[in-house]
Amino acid sequence: MDGIQAWFVQQFTELKDKFILCFIDGDRWQWIFDGLLNTLKITLFAGLIGVLIGIIVASVRSSYDKNSESLALRGGFGYHLLRFINGICQLYLTVIRGTPVVVQLMIMYFIILKSSTNGVFVAVITFGINSGAYVAEIFRSGIMAVDAGQFEAGRSLGFNYVQTMRYIIIPQAFKTVLPTLCNEFIALLKETSVAGYVGISDLTKAGDLIRGRTFEAFMPLIAVAIIYLVLVVILTRLVGVLERRLRRSER
Amino acid sequence: MKDKLIEITGLKKHYNGGAVKALDGINAEIDKGEVVVIIGPSGSGKSTFLRSLNLLEIPTEGRILFDNVDITDPNVNINLHRQKMGMVFQHFNLFPNMNILKNMTIAPMTILKKSKAEAEEKAMQLLKRVGLEDRAEAYPSQLSGGQKQRVAIVRALCMEPEVMLFDEPTSALDPEMVGEVLEVMKTLASEGMTMAVVTHEMGFAREVADRVIFMDEGKIIEEGTPEDIFTNPESDRLKSFLAKVL
Ligand SMILES: Nc1ncnc2c1ncn2[C@@H]1O[C@H](COP(=O)(O)OP(=O)(O)O)[C@@H](O)[C@H]1O
Ligand SMILES: [Mg+2]
Repeated sequence: MDGIQAWFVQQFTELKDKFILCFIDGDRWQWIFDGLLNTLKITLFAGLIGVLIGIIVASVRSSYDKNSESLALRGGFGYHLLRFINGICQLYLTVIRGTPVVVQLMIMYFIILKSSTNGVFVAVITFGINSGAYVAEIFRSGIMAVDAGQFEAGRSLGFNYVQTMRYIIIPQAFKTVLPTLCNEFIALLKETSVAGYVGISDLTKAGDLIRGRTFEAFMPLIAVAIIYLVLVVILTRLVGVLERRLRRSER
Repeated sequence: MKDKLIEITGLKKHYNGGAVKALDGINAEIDKGEVVVIIGPSGSGKSTFLRSLNLLEIPTEGRILFDNVDITDPNVNINLHRQKMGMVFQHFNLFPNMNILKNMTIAPMTILKKSKAEAEEKAMQLLKRVGLEDRAEAYPSQLSGGQKQRVAIVRALCMEPEVMLFDEPTSALDPEMVGEVLEVMKTLASEGMTMAVVTHEMGFAREVADRVIFMDEGKIIEEGTPEDIFTNPESDRLKSFLAKVL
């Protein structure tokens, strides 16, 4: 009996010592804290950029799908402009979704934004542009799911195309894709963990730095995992609440 | 003495590279204050005709003069003209994410730049006229079909249109709700609104129409007063159509 107790006490002391070594000594908890802050910053701002790009690209793509026939009939400059912009969007989607995000990050950090010293900024831009491609396809499916009659009702009242999208179609599309969008956001949170590849000190990198400094892998990496897990579980819960709310308001 | 509001010449609408001739050379006129009812078998091009009038369908050929402006001219700002042409659809097409008041005020506020107070006052006035003033805060999903269609009509009226286009406004309704919608349309007609109505309600056509147009296979086969059309049909196609629906 005493033996078991002593073993537990020893285990506990060892864990406590490791904990102190990893997080208390040299105020290393601060690294984790700063890393978490960076991760949240990157996720939040990249998410916002992603939604912005996503809405624009999705609007262009569905405008083209919806209007190309009638615009071609009327011809003119508008048709060629839309075709050109649609082509650019298509290229963007293909390139972004066809290459790994780590590679995009490295290209951004070492080539395109070489002059920037702000790693978090580079990460925000990279993950924003990356996420925009996925959000665009989510939005596009949402826009396509809105009944065609809604569009016609808007146009028949005198709204122009852009106004119809903005006031009538996109709000409805947004509502239907909101849960999917939130899941994309959760995925983005986890994806930003590759930011350390280019030396950005996000949460994962902070854990890894502590591991390197203390030669103690278990504590910092498990701590990092738990923090991600808690964030994801909380966000997933929130999405669940949101989904139920939306369903109720639809009746 | 009679003012032409809409003048349609040589209107054609082809689909699939001409394989489907939804409209095959339509000439017609609608005068100010006139109620024109369009009848015809399913697939005869009635919807396409009506939807061409506000360019929801872009004609393959032909001209549409509205207030003496050729709206098929690509340089014309069609949005300005659509504001003056209210449209009511078979499936109402209310905005499900907005309450009734918002459904009615969003266009006047956004497009005509009316103040909220002004737009809401006008909307409430119109809702009162169709007996739905107590449903202003309700959402479309909380209304019956007949109520939805009455809202759709007054939503279009909020833009103070010069003409109202109706595409089978009662076809999606339960029979007991048809009357309340037709009643609103009759009142509107009696107040002098110019109306083009596609409908299968022959009673309404007989009672309210100034002129009835019978379409088949993308063409106008016969047109005239309700008396001409219903009592003295000339063409065989109209006779056999009437035999089926009356
Ligand atoms: N978008 C479309 N593509 C191909 N054919 C169409 C389209 N819209 C309508 N049509 C065809 O045009 C004809 C007229 O249709 P429509 O105007 O809806 O008739 P109605 O309203 O009298 O029932 C039909 O044969 C229909 O199949
Ligand atoms: Mg029809």
